[in-house]
Amino acid sequence: MNGVHPAFDAVLADLGDRHRDEVLAAFAAVEHAAQPVPEGSLAALRDATLRATLQRLLREVGRTLVQAGPHEWTSGYRDDVAAAVLATDGNPLPVADRAVLALVLVHSVAIPRSQGLLDRDAWTSAHPTPVEELQRFARLPREQLRAALARLRAAGLLQLVPERGRGAGQGSAYLPGPQLHRLTPAARRRLQEELVLAAAPDTPLAAAVRARRPQDRQEGHRTGE
Amino acid sequence: MTVAADALWWARARARGPLRVPAGTVAPEGLARLVEPDGRDVWILPVPPEQAGGGAIEEFGLSGTPPEQPNDTARLLAAVVRCCWTDPTAAIWPGADVPWDAVTSVFRHYADRDESAFLRAAVAAVRRLHGAGWVLWDERGRRVRLGPRVAGWSAADLTVLRELYRQMPGPREGRPRDQPQDRPRDQLLEPREGDAG
Repeated sequence: MNGVHPAFDAVLADLGDRHRDEVLAAFAAVEHAAQPVPEGSLAALRDATLRATLQRLLREVGRTLVQAGPHEWTSGYRDDVAAAVLATDGNPLPVADRAVLALVLVHSVAIPRSQGLLDRDAWTSAHPTPVEELQRFARLPREQLRAALARLRAAGLLQLVPERGRGAGQGSAYLPGPQLHRLTPAARRRLQEELVLAAAPDTPLAAAVRARRPQDRQEGHRTGE
Repeated sequence: MTVAADALWWARARARGPLRVPAGTVAPEGLARLVEPDGRDVWILPVPPEQAGGGAIEEFGLSGTPPEQPNDTARLLAAVVRCCWTDPTAAIWPGADVPWDAVTSVFRHYADRDESAFLRAAVAAVRRLHGAGWVLWDERGRRVRLGPRVAGWSAADLTVLRELYRQMPGPREGRPRDQPQDRPRDQLLEPREGDAG
């Protein structure tokens, strides 16, 4: 299917052929690669001017550049667009999937982070969550848990730990998936706050989160398009 | 200020996969509109320039998220294409609505194993493909159609596919039915999974 691409044409119209190709290649890379892309591999990620054009192009389609690490880039939903998508269609994940994902994030990220083993801002982790842990705490029928794990793996939100990384005789285990790299700084902060509210709702930290929420919403309106 | 309509449509389609909406819905230029055979609904599908699509990243040594059981998944999609694309000189979508047994009869050529393992593999593969919008699977009615995502395949892709199509064995049983509108709409399950990121 060919077509008209007004969103792309509007941003790329002033570029020469070579720069246009470079921006489109970088767009494909950050939008479709499973993992963050090293900026050295693509001119439009390396060069600040072309990267600004790439950012404008991503914004046209509801996305934004996300720096996943030093010299590594990916893309994610713009914060204002993510809020609008949720308001329009609701959460695309069934509640069982969200429960399972939250358990893995608590086990693989929140607990190691509270022990000082993980960077404060990261949502990826090398601390696996054993499947027995999920069976015990998710309280879902085995078939429902299996289906939720399959959907979360397909969406890139969870990944199965390779067998050789688990040691002999160990059951399967999960880690947060590569899609977590796509969270913007604001989305990472909201996720952190949601876990605080869920895990420790009566703490001063949770009270502080609740107190700043209305202010957040006002900021969101100001920064939205 | 509000989010621009184009940005919201692109993002919704990324989150949900192709969007099925009533035919009167206005969607921005730049998103493909695929009319359902019954004319009541349309699918809204973002189709970026080919250089910006997922097929373009391999040349940079990058890879997308691979499907689970990639061989079985690809073979089952091939079987659905072989059964549903009844006229390979015509557009691939919407194609025909065919019995599940016809699809498994083609899939069996590429996945011959004991019966229960074969059926498990076929159902797992069609479930994955349905979830991603490549195939529309009516589990209760045991019918299969091609999903709207195949309409995004380029002319070059279709040329290659036509060659492969001619080399594949056809379905052993079940005649394609060209009028999926015969069935109530709610039997056509919609894709559930999109890209969460």
